[in-house]
Amino acid sequence: MNGALFWQAVLVGILGYLGAVDSIVMGGVAYGFYILGRPLVAGFMCGLIFDDVKAGVLCGLAVQAVFIATMHTGGTSSTEITYASYGGIGLAMATTKDPAIAVTLSIFIGQTFGLIFYNLRMAGFSYFNHRADHDIDRFDKHALIMDQVVWPQIITFLVRAVPIWAAIYFGRGAVEALLKVIPTEITSIITVLGGLLPALGIAMLMNMLIKNKLQLIYFLFGFAMVVFAKMSTIGLVFIAILVAYLVYQISAKSNINKNSDSLAKETVQNADEYQDADLF
Amino acid sequence: MASNEKIAKQKSKTSKPERLTKKELRSIFLRYMFLPESAMSYEKMHGAAWAVSYMPLGNKYYKNDDDAYRRLLKRHSPFYNTEPQTGQLVNGIVASLEEQIGMGNTNISEEMPVDVKASLMGPLAGIGDSLVQGILIPTLLSIAMGLSKDGNPLGPLFYIFSYAIITTIIEIVCFKGGYRLGVSAVDKIVGESAKRLTNMFTVLGTIVIGGLAASTIALKTTVKIPFGSQTKPLETIIDGFFPGLLPLIAVLFTFWLISSKRMSANKVILILTVVAAVGVLIKFL
Repeated sequence: MNGALFWQAVLVGILGYLGAVDSIVMGGVAYGFYILGRPLVAGFMCGLIFDDVKAGVLCGLAVQAVFIATMHTGGTSSTEITYASYGGIGLAMATTKDPAIAVTLSIFIGQTFGLIFYNLRMAGFSYFNHRADHDIDRFDKHALIMDQVVWPQIITFLVRAVPIWAAIYFGRGAVEALLKVIPTEITSIITVLGGLLPALGIAMLMNMLIKNKLQLIYFLFGFAMVVFAKMSTIGLVFIAILVAYLVYQISAKSNINKNSDSLAKETVQNADEYQDADLF
Repeated sequence: MASNEKIAKQKSKTSKPERLTKKELRSIFLRYMFLPESAMSYEKMHGAAWAVSYMPLGNKYYKNDDDAYRRLLKRHSPFYNTEPQTGQLVNGIVASLEEQIGMGNTNISEEMPVDVKASLMGPLAGIGDSLVQGILIPTLLSIAMGLSKDGNPLGPLFYIFSYAIITTIIEIVCFKGGYRLGVSAVDKIVGESAKRLTNMFTVLGTIVIGGLAASTIALKTTVKIPFGSQTKPLETIIDGFFPGLLPLIAVLFTFWLISSKRMSANKVILILTVVAAVGVLIKFL
């Protein structure tokens, strides 16, 4: 029994619930998912808990680099970032404090257990939604709050905090044993996968934005500005604002003279297609 | 506090309909801020979280009319999903509509808030997600990551405070704007000029995520090709004429799987895992 580790694991588990997309405590997604759930912040928090802020931030930094383009759109997620952050970084902080281990563990946990737990919960909560509908029909306001907020949150807390606590508390020995026997091929596959994962988040966003394949030209423009012109992200934002404004100006002219510019008209009309049923 | 509540209760007993108080508006705002994903499922997403958010309004206007109260909860429990922070705009619009319905304005039908929600959630999700997850968060995070290169906690602290302030402003401005504009906001959002605006944000978002793809996707080949007696890494040759060629191929392939092949994110993860595994095993990646 290790008393300190037990309580450290409990704290990381609680943070893993607070930083989750489906937790309500931290102002919904505003201060929870989009702040506490980010790996950089998770690394900082785990650093405080394990009393080594520098190692925690370094682990968070390495994991954040992999998950910077993680997207959560329309209920689907390219990775379960909260299980990945607190499970992976917490476990790494409990063992080697090595950023590379944190990255491997985060990707592994986020893509396997994290997504499985998340998808099961997303499917299972239909049960509470039906109960809430039933409560409204019966006009039972108290039961509505219980079925829409209280019970779902208790279950969310259990499926988030308990596995993370268990992974850190019991996983320590297992990770150390595993690291000794794991073939290097597996770790290199996980590393390559970590490099590939941002492609999925970005493709999910592209799928929401790009309805006309010709608009890929804007995407390629942004890509080229970074790889060829070596522009920073902030610099690119300014250039993008300029281009977007020019497009806005040109579309005004094409509205006056509707037949003159069929392409601009087509892209404007395509805004209708945002309501893509498959996305939600 | 207690005396305030008493006064509010006495006011609501009087039959004369009145507008929502600041306190009630704040309650609706906060409930929508905290609760949208409380019982999120694939079937309903934010769903009945709306019904819970509008209970303060129901308690005010439908205290003695259980049937109208039940209709209010019922019409705010079907499927709904959008970006919740910028989504406060819809909450503000619906609050102003429901207020009019509650005060007995017969020009506004009870279907109106439902239609508004259904027509706004799609466009708003597209713009909101690309602004928040595609531009704001990656930009703030890349600044923060620069600040903590050597393990300095300044980076996470910068991100925590900057994002907290910005998102709070976004939520308040969106809610107040939506409430103030009311129905006229709908024309502004789905009308002709709004399509131009949507198009503008789409262009902005698409360019920035193009840059994001270039700076975040890491894919390098480890193949070495022989040059006479020496070998030269293939990656150096690729970088010489097209840096980031492999990441570009990866993201276009993934986009093709999702948009043209209509694959789910989970299936794509499996395919990417297979690609990574095969690539490593044949010693290409």
